[in-house]
Amino acid sequence: MKNIKIEVKDLSLYYGEKQALKEISLEIPRNKVTALIGPSGCGKSTFLRCINRMNDLIPSVKITGQMLVEGIDIYDKNVDVVNIRKKIGMVFQKSNPFPKSIYENVAYGPKINGIKAKNKLDEIVETSLRQAAIWDEVKDRLGDSAMGLSGGQQQRLCIARTLAVSPDIILMDEPASALDPISTSKIEELVHELKEQYTIIIVTHNMQQAARTSDYTAFFYLGELIEIGKTNAIFTKPEQKQTEDYITGRFG
Amino acid sequence: MTHFEIELERLKTVIIKIGTLAEIQVSESVKALLSEPIEGKEVKKTESKIDKLDVKIDEICQSIFALQQPVASDLRFIMASMQISNEIERIGDLAVSVIKRAKNIKDKHDLISKFNIADLGKQVEMVTAKTNECFITRDENTIGEIFILNKTVKNKSEEVIHDIITEMKLHSKVVMSGTNLVIVLKHLERISEHCTNIAEYVHFIVNAKIIKHDKHEDLNVEE
Repeated sequence: MKNIKIEVKDLSLYYGEKQALKEISLEIPRNKVTALIGPSGCGKSTFLRCINRMNDLIPSVKITGQMLVEGIDIYDKNVDVVNIRKKIGMVFQKSNPFPKSIYENVAYGPKINGIKAKNKLDEIVETSLRQAAIWDEVKDRLGDSAMGLSGGQQQRLCIARTLAVSPDIILMDEPASALDPISTSKIEELVHELKEQYTIIIVTHNMQQAARTSDYTAFFYLGELIEIGKTNAIFTKPEQKQTEDYITGRFG
Repeated sequence: MTHFEIELERLKTVIIKIGTLAEIQVSESVKALLSEPIEGKEVKKTESKIDKLDVKIDEICQSIFALQQPVASDLRFIMASMQISNEIERIGDLAVSVIKRAKNIKDKHDLISKFNIADLGKQVEMVTAKTNECFITRDENTIGEIFILNKTVKNKSEEVIHDIITEMKLHSKVVMSGTNLVIVLKHLERISEHCTNIAEYVHFIVNAKIIKHDKHEDLNVEE
């Protein structure tokens, strides 16, 4: 049980009348990469957003069931959303650096968390950029605008920015879908390295990316979790016919 | 059909084709052994067709792997196809060896009727036909039948070889033809063994379980 980082019990989500997630129950293991796959509109991104309560921002949303992170239900009334989000970082499809310097992008989070000492901030910035495998490319121009970086560099900078506030969990929503193959491969390699320290959940439309990067794969369809299992098993011998049809491209 | 499905269908068609050619070669080899010598020209032609198709199958599989990144049942089908075409090509080669060697067996007909080799020949033909059938139908009962037939062929062949050796010990004049006959029987046994391997790959396509080194008795297929 101690290897389970997130436990989801009967989680349902409604956008007004429409039920987007149907009683999802699953366990996400610690320090592993779990990929969420499924066709557009299947609920995988909605599910990902439930993990850091991003859906709270949408007024018509209603959520039932439990999302236990380290045994604590993050939808409990007494839980502080800001604290949750500190522990759960997120990387989006489109890299979204702040229109500030490279240094400021990474230092921003720690600063608003109250870290003021320059040497401490320098240390966090360097460590985070190193972990995100971009330090060597930017170390001589930390003062330059982040907007001048390439798409792949911007995405790794966003990962560094996420790491800077030392989360436990990293959520990635299509983190490499807008990148060229070299940047994609860097991000995928990075995911491999980061799982030593973090629990990673990645949403991807790219089946091969799910196969390459993840330890576990969950297949969603029409708001339901159809199957979750070891990635090797899902891509060689899925148990559900729907999963097989989806991964072999014979859906619908 | 998607482009990918068309490619898979094409692969299947080529394997059925090469399987049919190998089946013809096996029938010819049994005929060469049991009745009359076979026209070498036709055999050579078929042999070269089999070789070409074997290469073609490798090429199709390579291109599917590179371009389509198959997974799950598709992946198993392509992995198995490469192995199956390899097995079929060997069946073809063995059949040709039988045809060549059958020519050199003196007093062939006496020996064949004495040791009741006709049955064995028919059984090998049947295994080959059933193997092609099971690739198309993927029927588990047929897979089981192939396993049983293979066992029958193997036992029968061992028995006959034992009798031939006894005969050779008693009459030195049958040593030459007896030895040739033993080699032919071993070839037929190998053909049946290759068919069994193919059945195992079909089992892998269907059940995602690799059984090539398992005892068939332990499997859930009906024998």
